[in-house]
Amino acid sequence: MDKIKNNALVKKIGFNRVILIGVLILMYLLFGALCVALGRASFFTMNRIYSALNYAYFLGFLALGVTFVIATGGIDFSVGPVMFCAALIAGYSLNTHGVPLAACLLIAIVVGTVFGIINGILVAYLDMPSFITSMASMMLAKGVGSVFTKTQSVSWPQLADANGWYRNLVKITSGTTIIPTGLFIFIVAAIICAIILNKTKAGRYILCLGSNKEAVRLSGVDVRKWEALAYILCGMLAGMAAIFYVGAYTTVQPGLGDTFNNEAIASCVMGGTSMSGGIASIGGTFIGVLIISILQEGILAMGFQKDYQYVITGIIVLVAVWADIRSRQRRN
Amino acid sequence: MADNKKKSNALASNPIVKAIGGQRLIVICVIIALFAFFCIKSPAFRQYSTILSILDYSYYISFMAIGVTLALITGGNDLSIGTGMVCYALVGGFFVTKLGMPVAVGMLIVVIMGAIMGVLNGILVAILNLPPFIATLSTMMIARGLGSLLTGGLSITWPQASTADGWFRNIFKITVGDTKLPLGFLWVLILIFVMTIFLNKTKPGRYIIAIGSNKEATRLSGVNVVKWHMLAYIICGIFTGLAGIAYAATFQAIAPGTGAGLELDAIAGAIIGGTSMTGGSGSIVGTLLGVFVMSMLKTGLPFIGLQANWQQIITGLVLIAAVFIDVIRTRKR
Amino acid sequence: MGEVILTMKGIDKSFPGVHALDHVDLEIRKGEVLALMGENGAGKSTLMKVLTGIYKKDEGTITYEGKEVEFENPRAAQAAGVVIVHQELNMMSHLTVAQNIFIGREIMKGKLIDDAKMNEEAKKLFQKLNIDINPTEKMGNLTVGKQQMCEIAKAISHDAKVIIFDEPSAALTEAEIEELFKIIRDLRDKGMGIVYISHRMDEIKVITDRVTVMRDGTYVGTLITKDSTKDDIINMMVGRVIYEDPKTKSNVAPDAPVVLKVEHLNAGKMVRDVSFELHKGEILGFSGLMGAGRTETARALFGADKKDSGDIYINGKKVEINSPEDAVKNGIGYLSEDRKRYGCVVGKTVAENTTMASLENFMSGLFINKKKEEESAWKYVDALKTKTPTVDTEVVNLSGGNQQKVVIAKWLVRDCEILIFDEPTRGIDVGAKSEIYTLMNELVAQGKSIIMISSEMTEVLRMSDRIIVMCEGRKTGEIDIAEATQENIMHMATQRN
Repeated sequence: MDKIKNNALVKKIGFNRVILIGVLILMYLLFGALCVALGRASFFTMNRIYSALNYAYFLGFLALGVTFVIATGGIDFSVGPVMFCAALIAGYSLNTHGVPLAACLLIAIVVGTVFGIINGILVAYLDMPSFITSMASMMLAKGVGSVFTKTQSVSWPQLADANGWYRNLVKITSGTTIIPTGLFIFIVAAIICAIILNKTKAGRYILCLGSNKEAVRLSGVDVRKWEALAYILCGMLAGMAAIFYVGAYTTVQPGLGDTFNNEAIASCVMGGTSMSGGIASIGGTFIGVLIISILQEGILAMGFQKDYQYVITGIIVLVAVWADIRSRQRRN
Repeated sequence: MADNKKKSNALASNPIVKAIGGQRLIVICVIIALFAFFCIKSPAFRQYSTILSILDYSYYISFMAIGVTLALITGGNDLSIGTGMVCYALVGGFFVTKLGMPVAVGMLIVVIMGAIMGVLNGILVAILNLPPFIATLSTMMIARGLGSLLTGGLSITWPQASTADGWFRNIFKITVGDTKLPLGFLWVLILIFVMTIFLNKTKPGRYIIAIGSNKEATRLSGVNVVKWHMLAYIICGIFTGLAGIAYAATFQAIAPGTGAGLELDAIAGAIIGGTSMTGGSGSIVGTLLGVFVMSMLKTGLPFIGLQANWQQIITGLVLIAAVFIDVIRTRKR
Repeated sequence: MGEVILTMKGIDKSFPGVHALDHVDLEIRKGEVLALMGENGAGKSTLMKVLTGIYKKDEGTITYEGKEVEFENPRAAQAAGVVIVHQELNMMSHLTVAQNIFIGREIMKGKLIDDAKMNEEAKKLFQKLNIDINPTEKMGNLTVGKQQMCEIAKAISHDAKVIIFDEPSAALTEAEIEELFKIIRDLRDKGMGIVYISHRMDEIKVITDRVTVMRDGTYVGTLITKDSTKDDIINMMVGRVIYEDPKTKSNVAPDAPVVLKVEHLNAGKMVRDVSFELHKGEILGFSGLMGAGRTETARALFGADKKDSGDIYINGKKVEINSPEDAVKNGIGYLSEDRKRYGCVVGKTVAENTTMASLENFMSGLFINKKKEEESAWKYVDALKTKTPTVDTEVVNLSGGNQQKVVIAKWLVRDCEILIFDEPTRGIDVGAKSEIYTLMNELVAQGKSIIMISSEMTEVLRMSDRIIVMCEGRKTGEIDIAEATQENIMHMATQRN
């Protein structure tokens, strides 16, 4: 065991993340075996992988954002509905008001950012508890989205339609070859987030204030600004997630999206981001997102209802948070 | 400025104001103002049936809110109540309509499921020391999935009032002659009374407040804090079960996967009523008043042309306002 | 000399990586106050926690009233008559005084709690102790001193035979301490065995009969208080003689310019019309009892708390300080009394803490230059002789003295001209203490100016060039070191209105 821990490559990636990658591979194989056992079609196809990736992109953007917020010691329960709200408002503008597509993609990001600003002000500047505040803004997002579209669902254009090019952001199909552009963008986004978190002033202060806000404030740092920034980044990333959601699935319904919060949070805590703040890992979140995506794809492939996924996600969060608390208790 | 302060101090020390509590008095005024506002804006609102539907909404929210008040007093929270309530009502209804069990058994199942969920939340929070909001968020997800899985993803309709098995709907609204009487309100009042006594006059109630005020000090006083902390969540679960029955009796069809967000109506009600998010203080009577603000809004908004989607926005805004007031109030101390 | 009521013999207790108690002995006698002394981390609190059943001992025996006992939990200890008045107040601020006193053993009338009866009993209890507290008042509305009295009332209401006071005076005013001592003497005369844990040598001399000293988890010895001197006790505690020579004259040049001037500072109840000047190269001591408003003055000056009014001048120029950010921009650094909460981010590394206040100087474009950051951190680790394996070590792993050095480094990197040291050596062991003193002297020699808040008289007399004394939020005196004596400082510190 220690030998593995001391291996140079393992050390570089991090032992916990190596275990996570192991879990990811095991899960993939397990679902393959279960599909065979249940007499379902093979799980080991490229289609399944692309389908899982479709899920991973938007969830990934959500989870990257939530990682910043959890790093401050807070939580954001509004990301899923905010993503839907952004997709609804942008899509409705596109379909009904004929706003150019590029502008609509920007609108999606702006809507997400606005919600991020609201959460940021309420939590960082008005000292409100983040979990209840973000639940309130979850309600706002659901309501605003559905009021804006008059409770209609919105379908974004298909690839073949005039305004369909945005779907190339998710994948480009030419003949039989498929280029998963979304994967590249997701990886680039994760790298940028990792750089922000670990190499910039913003990331440094976000992590430090998550660990001990008052000490950072007494060092002469404007902690409110940096804490609010985490929520704003999170909202912005939720807006981007909206683009990848419609890029993969095109249709959005009002009043939904809260289940994605849970999956985004699950991805983060699984990846080693601590609910009590101060410790966060973008790499861990990345792998966590892939695990949740494989999980949902596997449940689909076995012909089970999505409800199993809710139950399993709930259990994952419980176990991950419990493990985090245990490991901290042991350290002290 | 000083004069105003003196005046407000004089008001605050008035015996009647003191007995009811300043915040509760304000909430009563808000309820009256809201009622007057809707009456003026909409002629259709000025009907007996409107009062009935305000009360209809208030039952299930009240039960949840009473339960969650206890969780809030311990300094915790329970986000699983909304989804949980619908899940228990679904499963209970499934046993009644699909498996042909008597309605009474179905109702019992609803309450027992609530209690089981309460035990689970209690274990997670009190024994394993998980943060309450994340623990109950997880059980909320589990409840959401379980509800649909156990009922095969189908909507459930509990027996209608007109059928023989529909007697349970009379528990909340009984028709005497031509008038419908809101019997449920009586049960709410009785439970409010019982829970007020429980909270202020019994040992478990006292210890629940003490835990919310300072858990470690309570533990060092030789109180079994784990047990009483758990009890708060178990009672919360049982009341959520009762809310499930009220929900089943009030609404026709219950769809799986719904209920998320209803917990916020209850939590907002409790906080409006003066229960603090930081634990240690709370009032069951205040919670009831807060719930009336929520159910008044839920009933009244459609009358002025704001449909369900607006209600979500209003719930969000009211919640933000209530929590903000709580934050200010806590900071003052 | 009273008969022995409780004996602890050969008590051993280990935590992972720490041998907290190494075969410790303790003897408590009836009608006697026993002082339990030792440096921080000597194991006093652990020993008392073993006694009252909060911790389980690994080895050893406890004999109480002639029988060997092992209390399962604090409640069992209480029931047997062994109670502890904790250092941190253990109160439920939302409950009333009477409800607090009877928590866990409420008086019942049938199934319901009889609050009226409880209020009555609490009243009787207070009468017995000669304390004037309303039992129906919410605990949170009382002053800290009154809360402490309630704790004591709660303790003796258990029919206690042995009472342990764990640093009871830490948060009390002079008058309240007097009241506390009166109660303790009264209890002693009633034949109770009392253990008094405190760091304050003066109190030990006044109130205790015997002193048991612990060091590094071991039993060192027991002295009769009236037959021993302070030095005897200190020598046992630290195992060596320490020299704490008072400074005899100010080291500041008479013409040294004023770097900081505070005029009519007001902030809440604890800072009332405070004015003073700080000269270049000066250590300005702030003396006073607990709760005199010194920390509050420093926090208001630093912008950490809102101030109501007052002007601040730096190098003769008026400045607006409304947040720590403003203060730091004006060259003020603040070292809090509570390092773990307000000083450093203990979960982060030495390097990250060192550059916390001046990160903009370690940027290469958008990114933090980690190499530059680590170089700077190493520079200060070497300069301040901070004991840490690397600069990547999390601060939580360092000792108190070394944590303090990391905080000092933070402000030195920022190049602060004015440093506020709030209880600079609290919780720091004797060796590291003198290192901090040397460091402070070096800093003023380099032309920095220091405000030092300290509750230790010896520290104030040893370090300060000039001393400001506060009492109940007001400045009650200002005195040059040449004229300062313990007596005149204490006189000003107790000069109430």
